[in-house]
Amino acid sequence: MRLLVSWLQLLLIAPSLLVAAASDYHEQLTLRPLPFSSVLASFHFRSNTSLTDFESQNFRLFPRSLGQILQHAGTRELHLRFTLGRWDAENWGARPWEGTREGGTGVEMWAWLDASTDEEADQKWLTLTNALSGLFCASLNFIDETRTIRPVKSFQPEGHHSAETLANTRLLHGVLPHEVVCTENLTPFIKMLPCKGKAGIGSLLDGHKLFDASFQSMAIDVRPVCPPGEDCFLEVEETIDMVLDINRSKRPQGNSIPRPVPPQDLVCDQSKPYHSDKTCFPIDHLGSPDWNLAQVFGRPMKGTCPLADPEVPPVCIQVPGSRDVFSTEGSQEKQGADGQSRCYLLDPNNDFTLALTNLRSDDKATEEIVKPEAPLLYADRSFTGYGQEHGGVQAILTNPSDEEVEFVYLESLPWFMRIYLHTLSTHVSTSTATSTNSSTPNSDIIKEVYYRPALDRARGTQLELVLRIPARHTVFLTYDFEKAILRYTEYPPDANRGFDVAAAVITILSPRGMNLRTTSLLLYLPTPDFSMPYNVIIFTSTAIALAFGGLYNILVRRFVGADEGPPSPIKAKLAQLKAKFMRKPAATVQQPTEAKK
Amino acid sequence: MTLRGKAGIYAGAALLRLALFAIPGLPDLLTGRAPLLLPLFSLLPDAQTWPIFTALLFILVDLLSADALVKLANSGEAGNSKLFASPRRAKKACGLVVAACFLFNPLTIASCVGRTTSVFTNCAILYATAKAIHGSPFNAMVALSFASYLSMYPLLLLPPLILLAFDRQPEKRRTDSCIKFAAKNVLVVAGVMATLQGMSFALTGNSWEFLDRTYGIQLTLSDLTPNVGLWWYFFIEMFDSFRAFFLAVFWLHLGSYVGGLSIRLRTQPLTVIVILLGVFSIFKPYPSIADTSLFLAMLPLYRHVFPLMRYTFVAAAALLYATFLGPAFYHLWIYAGSGNANFFYAITLVWSLGQSLLVSDLTFAVLRDEWEVERPEMVGKDVKQI
Repeated sequence: MRLLVSWLQLLLIAPSLLVAAASDYHEQLTLRPLPFSSVLASFHFRSNTSLTDFESQNFRLFPRSLGQILQHAGTRELHLRFTLGRWDAENWGARPWEGTREGGTGVEMWAWLDASTDEEADQKWLTLTNALSGLFCASLNFIDETRTIRPVKSFQPEGHHSAETLANTRLLHGVLPHEVVCTENLTPFIKMLPCKGKAGIGSLLDGHKLFDASFQSMAIDVRPVCPPGEDCFLEVEETIDMVLDINRSKRPQGNSIPRPVPPQDLVCDQSKPYHSDKTCFPIDHLGSPDWNLAQVFGRPMKGTCPLADPEVPPVCIQVPGSRDVFSTEGSQEKQGADGQSRCYLLDPNNDFTLALTNLRSDDKATEEIVKPEAPLLYADRSFTGYGQEHGGVQAILTNPSDEEVEFVYLESLPWFMRIYLHTLSTHVSTSTATSTNSSTPNSDIIKEVYYRPALDRARGTQLELVLRIPARHTVFLTYDFEKAILRYTEYPPDANRGFDVAAAVITILSPRGMNLRTTSLLLYLPTPDFSMPYNVIIFTSTAIALAFGGLYNILVRRFVGADEGPPSPIKAKLAQLKAKFMRKPAATVQQPTEAKK
Repeated sequence: MTLRGKAGIYAGAALLRLALFAIPGLPDLLTGRAPLLLPLFSLLPDAQTWPIFTALLFILVDLLSADALVKLANSGEAGNSKLFASPRRAKKACGLVVAACFLFNPLTIASCVGRTTSVFTNCAILYATAKAIHGSPFNAMVALSFASYLSMYPLLLLPPLILLAFDRQPEKRRTDSCIKFAAKNVLVVAGVMATLQGMSFALTGNSWEFLDRTYGIQLTLSDLTPNVGLWWYFFIEMFDSFRAFFLAVFWLHLGSYVGGLSIRLRTQPLTVIVILLGVFSIFKPYPSIADTSLFLAMLPLYRHVFPLMRYTFVAAAALLYATFLGPAFYHLWIYAGSGNANFFYAITLVWSLGQSLLVSDLTFAVLRDEWEVERPEMVGKDVKQI
């Protein structure tokens, strides 16, 4: 904290002014219909607090719980992501916020911590992850040294830090791909908002709809911002992106089982040769059905949040001008900042909803949705090979644009996936088909490699590659790895499901900064038989005992002839018993003869 | 014993290995080993463009081991040590036959073509024994230090090797006191080991971390990759709180054979070495077929006591069974997915039991042979042990 204060004194010229309350909290919901009857809803909440307020623990709009954790752990900048699902770039285009508010499946977290040595950074990271795991009801405390890496080129600070503070900070990045993001993680999110989900756009957030989405990502970003000529302040942004499938979200809560649509409501493809009364090829998912906010989110929006900046319209929707959008009475429509969207200023006391109608016109030239922007890069990653001893990873990176793309490819792999870096190879083709027309040498594609090998049970593999793909080319990046077998207690309860391998993080450096992530992977490791620990110990001990005992006996005992030596006591007893049996029948035989006499 | 015979066998073995090396896809089994092997292999041209050089290196190592074995066999130490002369020593196998049995053993060929680094350890052990027999204890100790540097367990062969070297010292430079001789040689071993560790220290950037990565792995069994031994499955299924205890027990067990065998068979130190090699190939932490091939290489030295062995058929059958079913069950577990780990584990048990039967049978035969010197009338009769 003393560091923050001294840094403050260095930078501030004028005494700090209280920032106007009006611009401290800003919230906005952006809706964008996507192809195949989906809609992207981006909730964005932003709070500022001046650094003097932050230091003196005077929390108004900045969540106190988060602020105190950050102070305790000496965090300069924090980025935390909870993601579920997969962004379908081919249908939905470029990612929202250029991929900067998205993480890999599960939990991903990176932070710049005040530390002069690596050990100090590890200590603070431990504090940070454990405290945040309590705050967000997520098992972030499992982000230990085996899941933490120190990226070199992939992440740049988004806030404004002076060069000397930056020199004294360490960046740490942790992933938890196995974490299932659920309502218990949404609740702390909503509790950190000033209006706590009771008014404004936060009132639309419902766990049932959010976690039913095709893709959802919850992000928290805390960073210091220093606008030129003004005082610095600390900004916390909470972003929730979700891609809802309209038909699925419209199913009522109490009756969510999909039921067959009555025949008169079916939307059929009439160009098919077999189209008739009795046969139908349904294309209702291709068009844009009609929907309204209350249907899709399951609840109406309750007015506006009184703490929000009244100048900023809370709801914006990006549709082409030809589409009709209906809003509740009392709301005012405005042209959006980017010229393409329509934004609405709401009546603070009434519920608000937006409704879009289905375009039933036959004029195909009428656009239903704003065409999604093509992304700079497509990335896919999968496992190759079979068996539980070796495998390979293949990443297919496609550059569909007209300019060369340079990016950093970061992978944080678990230690039990032992990669062979010498097998890292690339080959380029001009289409996405795997035809091998040219195999260019690695140095053309891979510019730099930052590699930190794994240590068993101590740390994972960190692999960062700076790659450059020419325009309209596809690169296949492959490498081999070997699977380790783990101890009994290191397997999760569902061992045969496999182990999650975190998503690869791609940071595009040129032509413009963007982020994307591949999907996570499931790694199958060989498993022992879990029902048999006792049996294994017994069998192995028996084998050892037989060997040792046999050898010991042979060494220690003395040789005698087979008939020499003292008779064995067991044999003597047996001989006695035999003799007894022999005598008794002889006795009974003799008596009758004596009686006869 | 003729040079032509020797050359013939060596050339045949080399050609066979070259042919097998040429088959593409036979896997590389170079695992994490001692640091000094790295500069050795970096001296060779790049393995991917010129694989012939690696092949030649491994073939050379195999031929050197065979050479040491020939010297061992021809010295007649197996039947006729300094303190003991077997009544059957006339029947011993000739050196060339022993070398041929070693070179054409499928297990040896597999370890060579698979490019395991155990072949270096095997070569060093054989050289140490051969040099000890031929009266150069210093060379023997240096060779044993190299072997111990590469894997840890050859250090346990030090007592019988000292005894062997002591028995076979050349007359001109004799040390009469066994204790002095032993102390001198232990110092030699310690010195050479220290030099080798120092060189590794310098090579790995002036850090002692390589000790943890090479010897530490064997001591703590941190890598549990399935192999033909007994340790891996045991320590997979073991709960963490008992690991340390059982690791200590297993290592103690491995070390317990040295003292007993050396005392009981003081008159035949080479036999002690052979039996110990058999024991190690069963009970060391990461055994492989290369260790078994070393034991089977030294076994024909005792051809004169083969008639006294009782369970040759059972042991041979068990070993063959395990050799054929082992790879099959491993494939079934790891690749086909239709078997589980227990299949392969059962095979490792059979392999260990077969080998232990062979080792104890050899011990019995040697001891009986020894006993028949004082009781020559018992030749061919039934005996028992009490």
